[in-house]
Amino acid sequence: MLFNSLTFVLFFALVLALHHAPLPWTVKKGNLLVASYLFYAAWSPPFVLLLWLSTILDWFVAKAIFRTEVVTRRRALLAVSMLGNLGMLGYFKYGGFLMENWAALMSAIGVTWSAPGWSIVLPVGISFYTFQTMAYSLDVYLRRAEPTTTFLDFALFVTFFPQLVAGPIVRPTQLIPQFQAPVRASRDQFLWGLALLTLGLFEKTVIADGALAPAADAVFGAATAVPFSDAWLGTLAFSGQIFSDFAGYSTAAIGIALCLGFSLPDNFRFPYAAIGFSDFWRRWHISLSTWLRDYLYIPLGGNRKGWHRTQLNLMVTMLLGGLWHGAAWTFVVWGGLHGLYLGVERWLTGRFRGARIAGTLAFRVGLGLLTYFLVNLTWVFFRARDFPAAWRMIRAMLGFPPAGAALVLATHLVVTVLVVITGMLLVHGLMRNRRLEEVAARAPGWLTAVVWAGMLFAILITQGSGNAFIYFQF
Amino acid sequence: MRSSTSSSDPGLDTEPVILRDIPPGRWARTVMLTVALVVAAIGGWEMYWRSQQVVPAYGNSDGQWAEARRKVDEGRPNATVFIGSSRTQFDFRLSVWEEETGIEPIQLALEGSNPLPLLTDLARDEDFRGLLLVGITPPLIFQPGIGLRAGAVEHYRTETPSERLGTLLSYPLEATFAFYNFDLKLFTVLARQPWWPERAGLPYQPPPVRKIENMRRNRDADLWERVETDPEYNAIVTSTWKAILENLPPPPPPDVARKAFEDLLAQVTRDVEAIRARGGEVVFVRPPSSNWFREFEARVAPRERVWEPLLAAANAVGVHFEDHPELQVPTPEWSHISSRFEEQFTRAVVRILRKQLAERGIHRPELGS
Repeated sequence: MLFNSLTFVLFFALVLALHHAPLPWTVKKGNLLVASYLFYAAWSPPFVLLLWLSTILDWFVAKAIFRTEVVTRRRALLAVSMLGNLGMLGYFKYGGFLMENWAALMSAIGVTWSAPGWSIVLPVGISFYTFQTMAYSLDVYLRRAEPTTTFLDFALFVTFFPQLVAGPIVRPTQLIPQFQAPVRASRDQFLWGLALLTLGLFEKTVIADGALAPAADAVFGAATAVPFSDAWLGTLAFSGQIFSDFAGYSTAAIGIALCLGFSLPDNFRFPYAAIGFSDFWRRWHISLSTWLRDYLYIPLGGNRKGWHRTQLNLMVTMLLGGLWHGAAWTFVVWGGLHGLYLGVERWLTGRFRGARIAGTLAFRVGLGLLTYFLVNLTWVFFRARDFPAAWRMIRAMLGFPPAGAALVLATHLVVTVLVVITGMLLVHGLMRNRRLEEVAARAPGWLTAVVWAGMLFAILITQGSGNAFIYFQF
Repeated sequence: MRSSTSSSDPGLDTEPVILRDIPPGRWARTVMLTVALVVAAIGGWEMYWRSQQVVPAYGNSDGQWAEARRKVDEGRPNATVFIGSSRTQFDFRLSVWEEETGIEPIQLALEGSNPLPLLTDLARDEDFRGLLLVGITPPLIFQPGIGLRAGAVEHYRTETPSERLGTLLSYPLEATFAFYNFDLKLFTVLARQPWWPERAGLPYQPPPVRKIENMRRNRDADLWERVETDPEYNAIVTSTWKAILENLPPPPPPDVARKAFEDLLAQVTRDVEAIRARGGEVVFVRPPSSNWFREFEARVAPRERVWEPLLAAANAVGVHFEDHPELQVPTPEWSHISSRFEEQFTRAVVRILRKQLAERGIHRPELGS
């Protein structure tokens, strides 16, 4: 079910009532587990079986890995976990993509083979929970952590509904210990959790769906090419839409967990104020970038095996990171561009380290804007339906629109995009080195109330379209 | 050092538990003030829209349509189902039909949509074996697929348990708040404000259709009273019809159009025969239109080239408003009848259908005949 739905309001009210009832802690955890399965089953009941499969697989594999010191046996057990989780992901998410590419490859070498119809529905959130359970087995294999002794805690870790379908991708060591002792939100925790939930829903419903999606959809869905102005407006709109959609989900998830007394880590830290791409990836989808760092980049050798190998490791990590987002080559290109940016940045940083100009405000602002410009170019590949459409957009954005390009955005959409994106960049710039909690602590109560009420009012009168969060499809 | 998922001690290379800090403050007072402000703001917003003659009404959502569609799946032996476009939604009064026949129809008409794909859908649905009334708005049957509200049919096919419950939870809100309406969403209201200048070079785009109906729980709808009483609003609606119809894509070449129409008629023949083979019956109704709209329809889809061949292909009875003076009731914005005449229209259609079917020796229990 969606956070921005009436069903969730009812569901969450019932969960809160049960969680605050005078019941034993184990019963409360059982309630949360059942609620989490119901939350997931509200989309498609049969897919709960996949959650169970993933849970049972890693529960037993991690225990077995921990019990043995035989290297080959440990590796074999880890392979079982990887094959199980990645196999599931591969079948549901990449099956059609692999078939199409196999058919294209065969055709290229003169073999006629047509891919069978592939109408498998992608289970919501499968990319998130498979990564979360794999982290558990990997942590035990890498001797970073011991397996938990309680199946209920592990099952709840895999299934915990606030972050089950779109993250943050939580590590076992971040969440499982919180299930061990009774937890109940204090009054202030609960109310701050509600404030975060409101902020998340405001970002999703008002900014992403209400203000920016119409312009992004109009430009990227246009039947013909668009000129320079609309190409940029559409891309800027999408940059704001995807941030508000995804950061909105994460903020809502953090708020919901806090209402129950649990702490989830930040997933975004004002990424459009990033200066450079290393900085960007420390601010954007933090839980995925740290996952890829810890379980892919570092095991590949990280930066410990020389310059060339470091660049290769970076590129492989980002290409796979791109593919994680979707089964299409456009996502791979998106990841590849980020890999390229990171590589170039690493090279430039090494070459110009200590340059005096690097510390000036103008240089930093310029670098921040350059980062945002380049990030926007990558969003074109992320959003465009195919490569020809992406190329048409890139050409237009660089000042060479294809013949026949026509405007698609009416004045109100142009103004909305410019106002919202300018506001978003200002907020990100001002908050670059601050945390929301610090700002809220300093604001007078009446001002907090006015802002909070303004967001709630805007959510209610925007009414929402019931659109799913973009990242659910990943 | 190795950490444990059984412990909150952070270990080397692991992500520790992060306890979120809570901003200090008088949160209870802040929340009370927040709630008071929201209640005041929503109250003001609601009062404003009520002052604009908006009253609470059901939202005509995809979920509401899916709920009606599922009634067909119940396989009621004498089900009466309406498909068509907005005229079929607005012009009939379901309670009056029920008074006349003893059966409340299932209203599946979708505004701006082509009913013929739904005819095919019901022809394939073994659960349906009752009376099907197909409302015809001539230009709409030529659009590919269902058109504007195709999403409703897709929603019915893919609806999740969560969405189904969401529809049920939404009903009390729809019945309570006037502002809870598709035409009054914040960004919809902002987009139509007159202060936005035209953007030079932007190809003309017809305006979206404004609110013109009030719907009940069973998808029975009336033309909104303001469309009749407010000349300015009425002019907005009629100018929207003109803008949309004058900017339709050009028709295909005559030979292509002829072939497409022949295919369409052949499909209608197959669909009607399939329903009859299960014991059902199909009837057609052409509701009234007037002024510029009627002239446009007569020009692009003349009766003798569309309506008559359609009836012939279906070998079915059809009620055309031009043939019956009692059906020629006022259509304030050219396309839908005034709600004051729904009862007259509904009773007249039932009577005419009974008579026409009887002339063919057909007596349908759904019509109480």
